[in-house]
Amino acid sequence: MAVIGVGRFLEQRQDFEDQIARSYQVEMEARVKAAESGNPGVARETVATEAARREELQDRISGDTRDTAILVAAGLIAGLTGALLLFSGLIASLRRPLEDLVDASQRLAGGDLGTRVEIGGLSETATLGKAFNEMATQLERDAAERERLDRLKDEFVLTASHELRSPLTSVQGFAELLMLERDKMSPKQVETVEIILDNCRHLGRLLNDLLDIARADAGRLALQRAPTEVAPLIDEVVRTMRAQTDAAGQTLSERIEPGLPLIDVEPGRIRQILVNLLTNAHEYSPERASVEVSARRAGNDVEITVSDNGPGIPETQLEHIFERFVRGDAGLTQRVGGTGLGLAISKSLVELHGGTMRAESTVGQGSAFSFRLPVAAAPAPAPSPATAEQA
Amino acid sequence: MARVLVADDSETILLLMRTRLELAGYEVQTAADGQEVTDLVAGSGPPDLLLLDAMMPRKSGIDALRELRAAGIETPALIVSAHQDPGDADAASNVEISGYVTKPIDFDALLEEVAALTS
Repeated sequence: MAVIGVGRFLEQRQDFEDQIARSYQVEMEARVKAAESGNPGVARETVATEAARREELQDRISGDTRDTAILVAAGLIAGLTGALLLFSGLIASLRRPLEDLVDASQRLAGGDLGTRVEIGGLSETATLGKAFNEMATQLERDAAERERLDRLKDEFVLTASHELRSPLTSVQGFAELLMLERDKMSPKQVETVEIILDNCRHLGRLLNDLLDIARADAGRLALQRAPTEVAPLIDEVVRTMRAQTDAAGQTLSERIEPGLPLIDVEPGRIRQILVNLLTNAHEYSPERASVEVSARRAGNDVEITVSDNGPGIPETQLEHIFERFVRGDAGLTQRVGGTGLGLAISKSLVELHGGTMRAESTVGQGSAFSFRLPVAAAPAPAPSPATAEQA
Repeated sequence: MARVLVADDSETILLLMRTRLELAGYEVQTAADGQEVTDLVAGSGPPDLLLLDAMMPRKSGIDALRELRAAGIETPALIVSAHQDPGDADAASNVEISGYVTKPIDFDALLEEVAALTS
């Protein structure tokens, strides 16, 4: 609009200027004619008329200039306003799809791989939406593939640990058969068969541990929970461990807070955790070390701790202590018979119960492994008298 | 002398079982699969105890036992399983058994159980 106005103004101005030029010409001709005739008065009228005419044209030129300036300004303002409106419309039409994309990204990051955005709007946001959806589809496909591989791995471990059991039964069974006739064997032969049997038992533990890990990974480790008393559970495990700690001249003691509530657990699994922790404390500590099992109330949990004053675990190893097949330095020697899976299983089992497990250690002072288990919801009967300092 | 029918698809396991049971004074019959179990029972009558591997080719120990139970044979049966926790795979559901034996076999415990079931 402003452009058309300016164009028309320029055309008209040219026209007016032409007319002014012609007017000068007319005046000049009149003056020349008057001078030639010797009567200057003749030109006076024409001079006045043309001057008036030029003045009028001049006025019109400046008027139009002003009008045009106003027109141009108005046009510019209108144009800018239009641009702003257009821009804000553009922003509005960008904002929705972008907000949708942000939401979808957050859902995707949160694990909802089925998230997709609606594709539409401007071509740029549509392209972005399409790219997002393709990415999400790829992620979903990758996750499905990973899940399939995980399942295969779990199945493989389960099957392998079954298949290994029959040959293990044979080896162990025949070695035991030999031991039934140990009187007829030389001491060297007896020792040889004992080594075979030791390793059979180790292999058996390894198979059981692998099976536990595979089951936990596959989500097939179901707990049979029942409200359980803490003190008798600890007593029982301590009793079975005492022969080993006594043989090493180690002190094994209990410190159980009186009046502990029942915990909501599968007792066999807690026994398994305690055996793992106590076996570690016993095997990694030197002769005459002290090992203690303590239990105390901690909010809605009961916290059980197995501590020792053994060599301790360096910080760099402590970080990885619950990982599979990670073993302390002593575990790399013949002396310790663990599988490297005990702590990983123990932590899985505690977490399966809804509890937490942690390890603390100071080199040269000892280690402490603590786990918390939820208190049973049912009202507790009168607690059994606490077992204190039973060394 | 009590008679025990042992079934397993592994010859070495059968040899091991036979040796341990015979040393403990039992008469032992062996079968390589569930079909042989039902054939043996049909031929020589029910034994005093069945010791059956859960998983065998042709016919599993569970299937053989199910057939025997359907035929009215009440012989006590122990199911040998490679599963650490037998409940999770072999599921002898709806067949009456006296117990599970898991591999690797603890023979001291097994012999005690056999003695209790055949006394």
